[in-house]
Amino acid sequence: MTRLILGRLAEALAALLLMSLAIFLLSRVTGDPVALLLGDGATAEDRDLLIAQLRLDRPLWEQYLSFLGNALTGDFGQSVAAGRRDALELVLDRLPASLSLAAVALGFTLVTGIAMGVVAAITRGSAVDVFVRIVALLGQSVPAFWLGIVLIYVVAVHWGWLPTSGYGTPAHYVLPALTMGTFTLAAVTRLVRASMLDALGSEYIKLARIKGLPEATVILKHALSNSLIPVVTFMGAFFATMITGAVVVETVFAWPGIGRLAYESIVSRDFPVIQTVVLVITACFILANFCVDMLYLAIDPRMRDRG
Amino acid sequence: MQDHGYFRRSLAALAACAIAVPVIAQAQDDTLVVALPTFSEQTMTPWGGSGQRKTYLDTVYEYLVYLDAEGNTEPGLAESWTVENDGTKWTFTLRAGVSFSDESCGTVTAEDVKYSIERLIAEDSRAGPASTMRRIIDTVEAPDALTVVVNLSAPDFLLDAGYFGEAQQLGIVCKSYAEAQGEAVDTAPPVGTGAYVLERSVDGSEITMVRREGDHWRVDPQWERISFRAVPEEATRVAMLRAGEADIAPVNFDSIAGLEGAGIRIVSAEKTWSPVIRLGGVVQTDAERFNTELPWADRRVRQAMNYAIDKQAIIDELFAGQGTVANGDTPVAAWDSVPPYPYDPEKAKELLAEAGYPNGFDMVMKTFTTTPGAELPLMAEAAALYLAEVGINVTIEPTDWPSVRSEWTGGGKLDFAMTHRGFPFPNPENGVEAGFSTRSLFASFTSDELEAKLASLAAETDRAARREKLTEIGQYIRDEAGAIFMVLANEPYGVGADVGDWSIDTSYVYNFDRAGKAE
Repeated sequence: MTRLILGRLAEALAALLLMSLAIFLLSRVTGDPVALLLGDGATAEDRDLLIAQLRLDRPLWEQYLSFLGNALTGDFGQSVAAGRRDALELVLDRLPASLSLAAVALGFTLVTGIAMGVVAAITRGSAVDVFVRIVALLGQSVPAFWLGIVLIYVVAVHWGWLPTSGYGTPAHYVLPALTMGTFTLAAVTRLVRASMLDALGSEYIKLARIKGLPEATVILKHALSNSLIPVVTFMGAFFATMITGAVVVETVFAWPGIGRLAYESIVSRDFPVIQTVVLVITACFILANFCVDMLYLAIDPRMRDRG
Repeated sequence: MQDHGYFRRSLAALAACAIAVPVIAQAQDDTLVVALPTFSEQTMTPWGGSGQRKTYLDTVYEYLVYLDAEGNTEPGLAESWTVENDGTKWTFTLRAGVSFSDESCGTVTAEDVKYSIERLIAEDSRAGPASTMRRIIDTVEAPDALTVVVNLSAPDFLLDAGYFGEAQQLGIVCKSYAEAQGEAVDTAPPVGTGAYVLERSVDGSEITMVRREGDHWRVDPQWERISFRAVPEEATRVAMLRAGEADIAPVNFDSIAGLEGAGIRIVSAEKTWSPVIRLGGVVQTDAERFNTELPWADRRVRQAMNYAIDKQAIIDELFAGQGTVANGDTPVAAWDSVPPYPYDPEKAKELLAEAGYPNGFDMVMKTFTTTPGAELPLMAEAAALYLAEVGINVTIEPTDWPSVRSEWTGGGKLDFAMTHRGFPFPNPENGVEAGFSTRSLFASFTSDELEAKLASLAAETDRAARREKLTEIGQYIRDEAGAIFMVLANEPYGVGADVGDWSIDTSYVYNFDRAGKAE
């Protein structure tokens, strides 16, 4: 176990380092913030002054090492586009909104996806099975942007059941979580269905039935628990994807999360914030996968022996 | 996985939350909700970022000079002012007894105004006009508590309506408060003389202002609160208007018909922005930026491009008729007498043939979406169709504003055109300089003759003569076809039923603190 944890930590540090270098270089490929910060009547002298103020006149390697050195002390620099606010503070202010939305969306995805997968598996070949699979397919095909707007107009504008957008109350979570979770729902449904079909055809399930156990116990206690292992494996990836891919949902629903911040900082070439957002997201991704590994160990005794 | 009872209870709780939570969908009765595309930097000082923040900052800060609906100056925090020394010395007499929202700041004094000016033009200021103001403002003096003297390095007869007016960024701050905040002042709660103070700010989401106690000297605010919401997606803003969650929101032209059908009225600020197509590489006074290989280096080709496009049809179809055919790249009152190019494709073909392009040529046009300006890519496509009819084959390259702006201001011989949106400058001379003066990084078209005209304008001390020279410059730029002048467009806002009187007269003057309540 100790070896596993130390190994994961080393991998995490290496991933963060590589990611910091990659995003440092990529963000500078499309330009810098200088042109955007200059007023319309600015001259070449104004531009040179601003470049010096932002310290963009240093060689790239010096800028990177300076960033890295400061990052190790928790200083990720000041935002160029948001009033010189601390970049890490800016990102951490927005992170709870993204994490909470992703958690709710993941909860919706898991609850609904598992239920649908189980129903599809136990009614295999029937109209119900076909219907569930079509719904799952639609969920994966429909663009989040379109789905979000349609939900706003139907549920919020015409029915008036929920707010159109914004952040702050439980009601605000429903539509964006539904929009965000729908795509992943299809994947969870198909995973659970396939695993359940595997499990339901196995010898230990036959034995359980022979022993006279109630069908509900056979399905929910014995078959389902083993079918969830693939879902757990992907949970980390699902969660991280929901955080990182949330820019469309956050824009449509005016959700003040990290996805929108990432987009806004890229558009304004706010290098410190871009770098900080990517590193924080990478850390979230690594942490999510680490948690999955630990969860895996907890639910599958075979992994403990190997670990 | 053993306790199915817990699982069932969790499911039930989730369902209950989803269904039973009360809908907080309606705007509060005494809160004016304004849905905006962006808060820009969301900082709280006049010098802390762009003019887009004036939407919320102008409820807190006030200006020396205000403008009426016709653009004439009105006293603000300055009760009166004089200009002398041929436009290089301005003396402002402040209104006595205007208190800041923080009691420790007392009332506005000349020191507060001096400090506000100096911070706005400081080298670390992020305000849009900072660099140009820094060039013309020499010194600022405060000879007594209510007198401010501004000495300029060059004449500016429109300092009051321009840089020091409410359409620009010189909001007056409390010097002692700002100094006490130090570096944190950009994000600290703002202290101004406006009718509102900051109640709550959620990064990227909401800024709510609450009305100050007592009467205000300038406005009679009807709403107890003004809550600004950052809603980047226009379809969502429209939904908020229709659901009653927002009272005011900027909308696209193609949403107007649907909103009016749903009982939402439209208030338009007239001629507040001008979609234009700028032709790169014609900075004729700078060898580094003048691309002589371009077809449009020839004036006849530029004129042909203007004749070739039916701009009125584009206004009718893409801007819902809300605009006029442009005679320049920004709305300038002194240019009202300058006639726009008529739609004349035959004339366009003649000019192209004369210039040596009887079969037209190929070109690249870069376009992007911005706010306002979701119509720019559509305008580019429409323009391309008209240009194709006279033989000019346009390849449209979708891009983003930061990339194209970097390229445009990076120097070098540009070889493409770009759609752009111009805004009216309160002092139009500043706008002309930004677009057509050699020293401006943003200039797209210059010439020796234009530089001479601009220099003559700058040196002119007679007001009437200045206006004539400005008109002459407008006519020259039009005749030289310094750009493809497209539209002087309105900026539509959807306004909900709870809002009474509210108008927006010019760019960057929002009047949210003056919005009335419907009876």
